[in-house]
Amino acid sequence: MISRESIQRLDLLLLALETIDLNGAESLYSLSTKLNLNDVIPNKVTIWKLRNNNPMRNSFNKNNIKLEEFEALIKLTTEMAKFLYPYIRQILQSRDNLTRNPKAWNEFKNRYIELIRERFNTNSMKVKRLLDPKSNDEVFIKIILTLAFCISDDGFLKLRTTLLNY
Amino acid sequence: MLQNKFLFNQSSVSLEIIGLPDFSNNENKDYISIVSQWKLMIIDKPVIEGNVDHLKTIMRAFYTYSISLLNNEKALFESNLIDIKPENFHTHILLLKSSKPEVKPLNIKIGNSVLADIINCFDQLGSSNKVKNIYSKEFKSVKDKKYLFLRDKKNISNLLIPPLVSLCSIFIVSTGLIYIYENNDNRSLLNNKNKLISIESINKLL
Repeated sequence: MISRESIQRLDLLLLALETIDLNGAESLYSLSTKLNLNDVIPNKVTIWKLRNNNPMRNSFNKNNIKLEEFEALIKLTTEMAKFLYPYIRQILQSRDNLTRNPKAWNEFKNRYIELIRERFNTNSMKVKRLLDPKSNDEVFIKIILTLAFCISDDGFLKLRTTLLNY
Repeated sequence: MLQNKFLFNQSSVSLEIIGLPDFSNNENKDYISIVSQWKLMIIDKPVIEGNVDHLKTIMRAFYTYSISLLNNEKALFESNLIDIKPENFHTHILLLKSSKPEVKPLNIKIGNSVLADIINCFDQLGSSNKVKNIYSKEFKSVKDKKYLFLRDKKNISNLLIPPLVSLCSIFIVSTGLIYIYENNDNRSLLNNKNKLISIESINKLL
């Protein structure tokens, strides 16, 4: 049984990747073809449906995501993070030196918040907390850091262990 | 004899491994099984180097620390060789302690970007099939958090003590109540008996 928190976290990671890659939805689908995940993810709509298992979404729809579908999304996340690592690192570095180099971090943060507002239920307490400028930096850093830690060949296993522990 | 050297790079961090293959196991001459030296080079920071045991400890420290960061646990690693703790959520403090008493501990501050580079360098070392006997798949060996939770004796006692205490208190309270109720019952029976006796004696007198 995959917990709500695991799905929420995974969707937030995917959303962060979409924030970095403006054509993220398309890239995710082409990656799924490249990784031979077509049996589990035959089209873009399936990715969207699976992500709708996140209770924070406006279009939340409980479909009881299966473990193989969950793992397919994790594979997509780690593979995409691998491609986007230079940008991920740039965002982390920008946050490390916010006074000297705030551009990358601020751009990421603004767009991420924009996407959250667009797709998530802003009346939910969890989403409100995500949008709270006093506390969301820490959450966003952890999301980006999670992506940065999972770009190796063992990245899938790392992320799977981390997410299933939520 | 020529030593082999492998370099693992990730942005601002390089990990250099120098060593020899294990010829007694008929190993390929391009491999490293016996590590004689390693260097972790971070841009703008002092070079960290040591023997293979130091490398294992440092790798364990970084992996354990990064796992606790990801799992939202209290991120802190302490050992005889290295301490890692967060200064805030984007800066981490490494304290490297030398085994030689005259050498002062080395304090290095790194950001999240460098931390990610270090972890990725170690991951590259782990994925490399040319360097052996170092990487013990730290991440894979880390068990499920729930499993770890149950392995911790403190957690087991925390889990078991509250229901045991509540069961005991229910038992004590109910036993006490039964005792009081029975006593009251006995007293009322005795009273009734006494009344009956007194009525009988009155009847006799009449």
